[in-house]
Amino acid sequence: MSIDIDKCNGCGACMMACAVENNIPPMPESANDRKGITWIRVYKVDNHRAYPERRTAFVPVLCQQCGHDAPCVHVCPQQAVDVDPETGIVGQMPERCLGCRYCMVACPYHARYFNWWDPAWPAGMEKTLNPDVSPRMRGVVEKCNFCHGRWHAAQQKAAAAGQREIDAADYVPACVEACPTGALRFGDLNDSSTEVAQDAARPESFRLLEKIGTEPKIHYRSQRDWVREIANAPHPDGKDEHRG
Amino acid sequence: MDKEFITRGLRRSSTGRFLLWILPWAALLVFGLYCAGLCLVKGLNQTNMDNRFAFGLWIFLDLTVIALGAGAFLTGFLLYILKIDELHAVINSAVVIGVVCYSGAVAALMVDVGQPLRSWFTFWYPNVHSMLTEVTFCISCYLTVLLIEYLPIVLRNRKLHDVPSFLVFEHKLHNLVYVLAGVGTFLSFFHQGSLGGLYGVLRGRPFAFREGLAVWPSTFFLFILSAAAVGPSFILLTTKLVETLSRKRLVRPAVYRLLARVSGLLLSVYVLAKTVDTLVWINRTSPGSGFEAWQYYSWKPFGTWILFAEIVVFGLLPALVMLTPRLRMHTGWLVTAAAMACCGVALNRFVMTVQTLALPTLSFDSFVSYYPSWQEIGTFLAVVAYGVLVYSFSFRYFSLFPEERELRLEAAAREEETALAGRY
Amino acid sequence: MTTTRRNLLKFVGGGAAGALLTPAPWRLITDTALWSENWPGIPRPARGEIRARFTHCTLCPAGCAVRARCVGGQPVSLTGVKPHPIGHGALCPWGLVGHQLPYHPARIRQGPVKEAIVAVARAIAQRGAGERVAVLDLRPGRTVSWTYRRAMAVMAGGLYLTPFQPAYAIDLAAARTVVSFGAPLFDGWGTPGNVFAARANFRLIQVEPVESRTAALADIWLPIRPGTESAIASALTGEIAIAEAARATGVDEKTLGAAKEAMAAGPVLALAADPGVTPGNWNAELGALGRTVVARREAPVPEAWKKAAPSTAVSAAPDRSIRVLLIDESLPGGYVPWQDIEPKLAPNAAVVVFSSTSEGYARHAQYVLPTAVYPETAEDIGPAIDTVAAVFRIAAPLIAPVVPVVNSGEFVARIAGLPQTDALRERADAIHKAGRGTLIDYVAAKSKPVKEATADDFWKALNQGGCWMDDTEKQAAPGKLELAAAVVGRPLTSPTLHDELPLTVVTAEPGRGGLESPLMSKLERESNLRLSANRVALSKADARANGIENGSRCVFETARGRLSVVAVIDAGVPAGVVEVAGGARMVDLYGPNRTARVVRV
Repeated sequence: MSIDIDKCNGCGACMMACAVENNIPPMPESANDRKGITWIRVYKVDNHRAYPERRTAFVPVLCQQCGHDAPCVHVCPQQAVDVDPETGIVGQMPERCLGCRYCMVACPYHARYFNWWDPAWPAGMEKTLNPDVSPRMRGVVEKCNFCHGRWHAAQQKAAAAGQREIDAADYVPACVEACPTGALRFGDLNDSSTEVAQDAARPESFRLLEKIGTEPKIHYRSQRDWVREIANAPHPDGKDEHRG
Repeated sequence: MDKEFITRGLRRSSTGRFLLWILPWAALLVFGLYCAGLCLVKGLNQTNMDNRFAFGLWIFLDLTVIALGAGAFLTGFLLYILKIDELHAVINSAVVIGVVCYSGAVAALMVDVGQPLRSWFTFWYPNVHSMLTEVTFCISCYLTVLLIEYLPIVLRNRKLHDVPSFLVFEHKLHNLVYVLAGVGTFLSFFHQGSLGGLYGVLRGRPFAFREGLAVWPSTFFLFILSAAAVGPSFILLTTKLVETLSRKRLVRPAVYRLLARVSGLLLSVYVLAKTVDTLVWINRTSPGSGFEAWQYYSWKPFGTWILFAEIVVFGLLPALVMLTPRLRMHTGWLVTAAAMACCGVALNRFVMTVQTLALPTLSFDSFVSYYPSWQEIGTFLAVVAYGVLVYSFSFRYFSLFPEERELRLEAAAREEETALAGRY
Repeated sequence: MTTTRRNLLKFVGGGAAGALLTPAPWRLITDTALWSENWPGIPRPARGEIRARFTHCTLCPAGCAVRARCVGGQPVSLTGVKPHPIGHGALCPWGLVGHQLPYHPARIRQGPVKEAIVAVARAIAQRGAGERVAVLDLRPGRTVSWTYRRAMAVMAGGLYLTPFQPAYAIDLAAARTVVSFGAPLFDGWGTPGNVFAARANFRLIQVEPVESRTAALADIWLPIRPGTESAIASALTGEIAIAEAARATGVDEKTLGAAKEAMAAGPVLALAADPGVTPGNWNAELGALGRTVVARREAPVPEAWKKAAPSTAVSAAPDRSIRVLLIDESLPGGYVPWQDIEPKLAPNAAVVVFSSTSEGYARHAQYVLPTAVYPETAEDIGPAIDTVAAVFRIAAPLIAPVVPVVNSGEFVARIAGLPQTDALRERADAIHKAGRGTLIDYVAAKSKPVKEATADDFWKALNQGGCWMDDTEKQAAPGKLELAAAVVGRPLTSPTLHDELPLTVVTAEPGRGGLESPLMSKLERESNLRLSANRVALSKADARANGIENGSRCVFETARGRLSVVAVIDAGVPAGVVEVAGGARMVDLYGPNRTARVVRV
């Protein structure tokens, strides 16, 4: 996936589309931004200067789909996480998950979320659930899987048409589909003809925390220098009080 | 009333007084079980843990308690493998402490995981790359070993010993004691290490991440060393506490000095290893991940004082005290040093669990703080109460301190002598 | 073999050992995991036939085209319609979760319909001389708006009230430079898909005190002191020197210079935060009229409807003259502060509001009648500010209303004695009869001239979510525009602060009325990405000065009243400013001077 930070306006459409597609329930009143479940979450970052030199940008952060040394894959005691060799997607099996939350400690991108509550929708709203994704009960960890269900549907469609490869237009994650500004792009990174692969090759492209060696598959880009600095480790000089 | 259950030759308080002692702990246990019940029934939203603080009070205290309970395996190793016979005086107590620490930790873990009914998945679908799999296997096996080691202590109870089949069984078990000690040491080595390995392998948390030997990060070995170092200290502390509370002499002073010497020696080795490890981490490992080490300590309240406190104040100082023969002669110094060593290990576990999670990893993260909810504290108090209750029952009905009787007779003989001498 | 106990035991033992060598027991153990997977009480999604249905979103005048994925007739997710010429397939966050609104726990589910009818009839019959019957239409421009206007024309003393409706439309595609005085261009203005499709064509100069989402993506952001918009306008047209403007506004000269240079690029457009108020004179000066600011065009209406009451602003209504007030709050839209409406009401006025939320006028009305919510509604949306062509699109209902609802158009038509007809059908027929324009059929994914379709086909296509569009007429300059008296000179943010109300109020979120799905908690509580209606954001300095901490309960106070809120500290908010989200309760507190203070409880 490639994300153009210079285009993201922080609207949150990706977050809503994700919640609808993946049957993520609204949290109870007592939840705050540390107990909510937002498989994709847009963060507000800034250049650490005071008003009026202060500039902000919005960065959608989702599971970075790390390479085969993904920190969370190694640490799960019951193999509830794996890296799919074909797609590179890091898959999480909530049915296998014990809820020990070790993977959440391991993930530096805070991309994993725990079900602190059982899912509860207001009466009648459960009619709007997506039948392709099963709701998870409490006590298990979940995270973005690039709308795995849509990939399966694309595969089934291709198989029904007698083809081996899926049609790229049939497999688009919900967030990419919903983004109104075109900041999110999705495709095959290994195919150099795709837009995503070309985006990743640009000089202004970067990945978060590259030095740690997680080999994430989400490539961010921005023309602004200060935005590219977010890829680095935290700097306590720029201590800010973020909203909430 | 229950005199016939109490070991011959030992004096214990009356049943009524014992019940008075038991009652508040039982009440605490009930309250704690209620807290745990809340967490199990209503879900983990009862705690103050959250997505940034996935591990909280329970994991920190579990790690500490397991480290403190390491006295069981170390004493067994020293006594049965290295044949240091003075430790006969404390081995039973050490085993009980071990049982209590490990079973309590496992119980707390069952409340901590989101799906306790799926605990068997780790045994059924193990992930050989995960340190936590290793921990689960070894701790389960080791708890079994501890329970088997506890069995003879139970079976030697005055009343139970009268049953012939128990007598025979207990005797047979006694033959196994060397095997058990060996297996226990082996398992402990691995699980204490893997508990350290849990944090050392976290490539995503450069604060905790360490280089090491093959698949084992340095924290693997540091945790084993620190646990081994603090085990005897904790035995020293608990024995002293029991002596004070029961107003009896339970072991000879030489045993304390021996425990202190062992602890001090291991602690100094640990401090040396830890210092080297910290220097490597500051200069090579952490910068290699793109994280400068100094910035970890710029987030209040975790300044460099915490590093200093862990290694020097609660590490080097007690080690030096325990290694100094003159200071070892004084109970006050012994107890203080042992307590400081225990604090040092607790601080180390705290730093690895809590500080690791509090520190931001992304540049646009915030530093987060966490304090446990009353349900979390209550659950852990249940573990403490459980430990006190089991130990109290074991102390009353089983012979935890073989030297107690001798010491009592010696003291009685001395009293008679002075009384006689006084007469003439 | 004899059947001794020993032999039996041997057999059983051997059998058990042998069974362990088969997959059976291992499989059974694995299968027992199933019962721990999902406990009863966890909702299971219903299954059914999956179909795509098309409609339009009614949550704002953009009326974006929507493709709903329906399972057994129930919409489970919404997306835009990619090839749509206006929407380009984009939906905003609210639109993406609109299908959950019918099940909103706070939705009004019942109301005293009969009592309301009786009370209204009585009030009409008993009204005194000079007392009026009024309909306040918060989303004018719809077909039902014509029903109201016809009803008020027929009734003696009927008044048709609306919030200010601009008689112009903005052609964003024609603009090369846009100067926006706080208009949330990239966050809720116009039609999102249209704005982002045109983005590459223009440079945006955003003028506002706080760095909003739009300012963050703008080409140039001018961080002015509140109330100094006129200085910027004057500097950009050369009326005053850059240096003087820099002094007045606090923006540095270099940035001002760059902004001025950017203006030379081509057709300029000026926008203001309140779409009802445009810097009209300034647009005229800049030559925008006829190019980027054009006359608004409406779809044809039946001849018989032309006898309709004109639109009156609430402020123009005589004081204490309205005896019956019917407020159509069924679609989220403009909100007129209650303090502006109340003086117009006669002493024993009957106020009926058609609404699905209790947060708006329901707080002040005597009769609150429940209406359908999106996607239950069957009506058209009305044009958006940036819709240049004449359009007609029906928000076809995807499900039947889940609670008993009242149709406000029918209600008003009945009390006025108008015949009950299918107004939408009549209008569609009138459009078809006029013969101009194109029918865009989403289901068939093609468009054709309206002349080529029969009236019935046309109607059918519209009800399946099709859209009629006519951009054949040349862009006319809005000659007879009622350009608002608001010259750029009227401060859009307040310059005068009192000691008592020291903070300038700035709206951080596009003001939306109506219900929003509970899932919006993802953007509000669960991520702090957007400010929720009960929160205000302060700078650290202002918070500290008032002893306020992040998350403290506070009171937000203006000259018009107070509201209980939760305060958050945001380093992006400059000192002297308080950011609020929209919402009826908050808008009720706005006065002509948007000043406030926040006090810790």
